[in-house]
Amino acid sequence: MNRNTTIRTFAIASIATLLAACAGMPGAPSAAPAQPNAPAATAAAPAAADATTAPVASGEKITLRIASIWDATSMEQMQPVLDDYMKQNPNIQIAVDNTAGSGAAVYPDVLKTALASGNPPDAFFMWGGEIAGPFIDADQVLNLNDFYKQYGWDKVYGPWTLDRISRNGSKFGVPYTAHGMGFWYNKDNFAKWGVEVPKTFAEQEAMCEKLKGQNVYCVSIGGKFGWHTMRILDYFIEHQCGPDKHDQLNALTLSWADPCVVASYQSFQKWVDNGWVVPDFLTVSPDDSRFPFFKGDAALVLEGDWYESVLKNNEQDNKKYNFYLPPTDQTPLRFSTFPEQFMISKDGKHPNETAAFLNWLTSPETAKKFPTAFASSATIGANPDCNEWPLTCGLRKEVLDAKSTYPPTDQAFQKELMDGFFEVQDNIVAKKLTPEEGANLMQQRVDEWKAKNKK
Amino acid sequence: MTHTRPRRRIRLTPYLFLLPALLWYLIFLGYPMFYSFIISLTDWDGLSRGSNWVGLSNYTSAIFQDQVTILALRNNLIWTAGTLVIPTTLGLLFAVALDQKLPARTLLRSIFYSPAVLPLVAVGLIWAWMYNPQFGFINEVLKAVGLGRFARGWLSMFETALPATFLTAIWTGVGFSMTVYLAALQGIPREQYEAARMDGATGPRLFWNITLPWLREAHVIVLSLAVINSFKVFDLIYTMTYGGPGRSTQVMGTWMYFNAFQYYHAGYGSAIAWIIAIITLVVAIPYVRRMSRD
Repeated sequence: MNRNTTIRTFAIASIATLLAACAGMPGAPSAAPAQPNAPAATAAAPAAADATTAPVASGEKITLRIASIWDATSMEQMQPVLDDYMKQNPNIQIAVDNTAGSGAAVYPDVLKTALASGNPPDAFFMWGGEIAGPFIDADQVLNLNDFYKQYGWDKVYGPWTLDRISRNGSKFGVPYTAHGMGFWYNKDNFAKWGVEVPKTFAEQEAMCEKLKGQNVYCVSIGGKFGWHTMRILDYFIEHQCGPDKHDQLNALTLSWADPCVVASYQSFQKWVDNGWVVPDFLTVSPDDSRFPFFKGDAALVLEGDWYESVLKNNEQDNKKYNFYLPPTDQTPLRFSTFPEQFMISKDGKHPNETAAFLNWLTSPETAKKFPTAFASSATIGANPDCNEWPLTCGLRKEVLDAKSTYPPTDQAFQKELMDGFFEVQDNIVAKKLTPEEGANLMQQRVDEWKAKNKK
Repeated sequence: MTHTRPRRRIRLTPYLFLLPALLWYLIFLGYPMFYSFIISLTDWDGLSRGSNWVGLSNYTSAIFQDQVTILALRNNLIWTAGTLVIPTTLGLLFAVALDQKLPARTLLRSIFYSPAVLPLVAVGLIWAWMYNPQFGFINEVLKAVGLGRFARGWLSMFETALPATFLTAIWTGVGFSMTVYLAALQGIPREQYEAARMDGATGPRLFWNITLPWLREAHVIVLSLAVINSFKVFDLIYTMTYGGPGRSTQVMGTWMYFNAFQYYHAGYGSAIAWIIAIITLVVAIPYVRRMSRD
C-alpha cells in the first residue's frame, strides 16, 4: 500500500469514527418548541397496550434494571427478596443499579444522566412530590393509571401516599415507603434532666430553656445540605401558619412574605439565639448531628421512622429511646411525612413485566415474608417485626393512620427554588438577614423562580 | 536549462503516530466540548426530549443578571489570588529548603508531596471532619493549647467558610509547586553560586539574583497551572461546604454543576462551563505557546 493510499485510509477511518460518534445523540435541540410542562397525563396509549413494546414471549429471558439508593445494609436485606422473585420467575433477571447511600442531593443527578443517555433503567426509585416533578414533566415517566386499575393499587397503599405521587390527576409512581418524622429522645436522659414530652409549643420551648440551664442543647441539626435544618423550620411554619396556610405556602399560592412566615423565622432565630440548637451546625453533615445526641449533649433530633435502624447500626440500645410528634398547637396535629416510590421509565423495554414486579414487590404478602426489608412500607398491613422494631412500628402506626400530614418543603419545591429556601434559612441563622428580610427575600426567590421557569 | 524547485518532502509518519491520540481527544473531549457549546445556546433542561434555541441569552444572564454567578466569580478570583501567592510561595520556600543537603530530605520531600496524590473528595471529607465544630481535630487542639476562644464553626460561618476551605487547598497544592521548583533548582549550574560567593554575595542576594531568575520557566508553569486549577475548583467546595453556608462559598464549578445537573438548566449550566473555559483559555493559550516555543 503506498503512502497516499495509507493517508486516504486513515482519513476515511477518522471521519467515519467521528460521524459514528455524532449519530443518535439524545436530547438534541430541536427547531420546534418543546411543550412546556406538558403533562404526561395526556399521553394517549395505555402502557399495558403499548404497541411499540413487544410482549415478552413465554420463556424469553429478560433483565429488569432497577435504579435505587440501597446502601450495603439495605442490599443485604433486599437481595433475598430479589432472589425470591427471580426464583419464582426464572426467565426474569433483576439487576440493581445503586447510587448507594446517597440522598436527594446526589441520586437524581445520576438518574438523569441515565435517562438522558437513552438507556434508562426499567424502574427507578424516587422521592415523592416535586423531586419527581421534573422527570414527569420531561415525559420520561410512564403514566400508571391503567396499571392502577389492573392491579387495584388504589386500595393497597396509604391514602396520603397516593396524593403525594400523583401529578395533574394522574399517578406516576408506585408508593414503596411511607415515612414520618418526629422528635426522637433518650428516655433515660429525659428522666435525668427532669423533663417530659411536651404537649404544646409553649411546653416545648419551656423544655428547651430548662435543658439549656443544664448545659444541654435542645436539638441537634446537621445543616450541610439544608434539608435537615428545613425540618425544624417546617415545624415552625406548621405551628405559626397552621395547616391551611402551610399548604398554600407550599403551593406558592400564598406569599412567603406573610406575617406567619416572619413569625416562623423569628421562632427559628430565637431557638438559635437562645442556644437551644447545637451551635455552628450550618455545614455539619446531617449524619454527624447524631453524635451530640448520642453523647447526651443534645436532647432531640428530628428524624423519621428509619431512625430505629440508625440507633441499632450505631450500637445504641433502642429500648432507651422513644419519639413524639412535635406539638404544633394546631388542629389537626400534623407532622411531616413523605413517600418514596418506584417509577417506570417511559423508554423502558419491559413496562408490563416491570409493573408486575413492582406489584409483587409492594404486595402485603411479600412484606410479610420479608418484614425487615419492608420496615417502612407504604403498603397497608405491611409491618416489620414489632418485637424487633417497636419504635418503627409505633411511628408507622402514626404515619399510616394519619388523615392529614404536610410534606417536607424539599418535596414541595423543585431544587432550584429549594436552594433559595436554604439560602434564606442559613442567612437568618447567621444573622445576615432579619426574619422580615428573610421572608421578603424568600418571596423574591419564588417570583424569580416562577419567571425563570415560566410557572 | 530550466531550474525547478526541489519537491518538499512532508514526513507524515509522526502525524500517523499522533492520529490515535488525536482521535481519542476529538471523540472524548473535542466533540463533547462542541456539543456542550451547542447546548449552551438552548434552554435544554438535561432531561426533556427537546429544547428551544435561545442564542447567547444564557451567557448574558449569567454575566449581567445572575447574582450568584457574580458571587461565584468573585470567589474564584479570591481563590486565584490566594493560589498565586500562598501555595506557590510556600512551594518555592520548601523547594529551596529541601534542595539543601539535609538529613531525611527525601522523606521530607515525600511527606510534603503526599497530599497532592490524595483524591480531593477524600481530602475534603477528612478536612470537613477536622473542622467539625463539636468534635473536630482543629477545635480540640485549639482548646487543648489554651486557645479555645478561637474555636468556632469554621465551615459554618459566612466569614470563615471560604478561607477555611482554601486552607485545605493550600495543603494539597504546596506539594506540586514544590516538586516543580525542586526539579528546576536541580538545573541551576552550581558554578553560578560559587562565582557569586567569590564576589561576596550571601544568602538573600544569591536567592534574588541567581535562584529566582533561573526559575523563570518554573514560575510560568506553576503560576499558569495555579490560575487554571483555581478556576476549576469543585471537589473541595462540594464536599466541605456544598456551596454554603447560604451560597457564600459557591464557585463557578459548583454553580455550573448545580444549574446543569440539579436545577434542570443544562443549557445555562453549559454556558457557565464555557465561561470558565474561556477564562482558563486566556491563561492556558499563552502558557502552551510559551511551552511549545522550544
